[in-house]
Amino acid sequence: MPKGKVVVDRERCKGCGLCVAVCPFGVLDLSKDYNSSGYAVVTAVHPEACTGCALCAQTCPDVAIEVYREKAAAGTPTRGAGRP
Amino acid sequence: MAERQLMTGNEAMAEAAIRAGLRAYFGYPITPQNEVLEYMAAHLPQAGGAFLQAESEVAAINMCYGAAAAGVRAMTSSSSPGVSLKMEGISYLAGADLPCVILNAARGGPGLGNIAPAQGDYFQATKGGGHGDYRLIVLAPSTGQEAAELAGLAFDLSDRYRVPALILADGMLGQMMEPVTLPPPRDPGTLPPKPWALTGAKGREPNLIASFALEPTVLREINVKRYARYREIEAREVRWEEVATEDAEVLLIAYGTMGRIAKTVVRRGRERGVKVGLLRPITLWPFPYAPIRTLAERVKAILTVELSAGQMWEDVRLAVEGRTATPFYGELGGVVPTPSDILQEVLRYA
Ligand code: SF4
Ligand code: SF4
Repeated sequence: MPKGKVVVDRERCKGCGLCVAVCPFGVLDLSKDYNSSGYAVVTAVHPEACTGCALCAQTCPDVAIEVYREKAAAGTPTRGAGRP
Repeated sequence: MAERQLMTGNEAMAEAAIRAGLRAYFGYPITPQNEVLEYMAAHLPQAGGAFLQAESEVAAINMCYGAAAAGVRAMTSSSSPGVSLKMEGISYLAGADLPCVILNAARGGPGLGNIAPAQGDYFQATKGGGHGDYRLIVLAPSTGQEAAELAGLAFDLSDRYRVPALILADGMLGQMMEPVTLPPPRDPGTLPPKPWALTGAKGREPNLIASFALEPTVLREINVKRYARYREIEAREVRWEEVATEDAEVLLIAYGTMGRIAKTVVRRGRERGVKVGLLRPITLWPFPYAPIRTLAERVKAILTVELSAGQMWEDVRLAVEGRTATPFYGELGGVVPTPSDILQEVLRYA
């Protein structure tokens, strides 16, 4: 499985939970960490399960998520949902 | 020249207000309406208007009083606790017959409450809130598109009747991103003239704007005239939407965010063969008493659903006057029920 990492812009997040609902691997959940507007910011509770598919980032209406993908080692074919 | 944009409800109302000819906005930050302030700060000066972050909500509403008296389309926005602070100023605007638009992106209460969507400000919006015998025109959008449309309408109605208009939204509507088709911008110079405004009394008698008349018979006369305008508004400006009411046996009544959720309830109920319909008030004042009364003659029950302990419910019962059962279902504290929660309730009366 490809590996991914999500970075949430905590001040942009409004805690709507759409990304939580859309992640196929249960990576994300709302935290008890409130941003300066008072919204419960989303966080990666199971970061090890993230594949870097970026569904969460595409779903977030407020463009609050960036997804980074681990570069495949030389010679390893890219597979699954990970696009170069 | 219609333009479609993806924006939050707050941004949609702000942009629609600017396009409606708003040229003076005064606000103070509070979640969940900050996007209105931010949008105004970025865009109103470009349209030739004045944006000012006031030192408090009280200052902001009184700045609106001044701008409105000068004949400018003026607006302020806040969320529940901030709107409470504005209530004195709102009563003064009403007493001085000044048009103004106030947006309340309401949140859970009372007190500081929380920032989740709630409808606990219905009484405050429709039954006073400030002191004295007055009314506000109260508009309750349920989508981003409707929010943009009602923001424009609020200015037109407020100017026409010289009655302040309040848009009662909530945290969900304000924060939700949706595609919105925006109206074309209007040039404030083309709006109907305001001969009563304080524009410098060159070549005419001075105008006086005040909410003060020491002599009781004089104050009575002013109030009686204002009430004649209220009666006209009640006769001409009631707005509501009906969904699947023709053969409905259970009628839902819900506004704003709940009105939107109730639409889903109607769709799902109908898929299961439940004869459920919806009447969604768009104006909370004037309230759609007459259409509710008409439907009360032929439905088995009218179920009011609100994000409150039952505030609009009182107006529904005033409309129904015992013609049919009037149960209530509500959630409190910023908790939003799901369509299935409400459908369960509907099934109790179907
Ligand atoms: S990138 Fe994919 S797997 Fe990772 S958190 Fe987002 S939706 Fe879940
Ligand atoms: S979809 Fe975006 S705004 Fe909503 S909880 Fe996720 S990161 Fe936050």
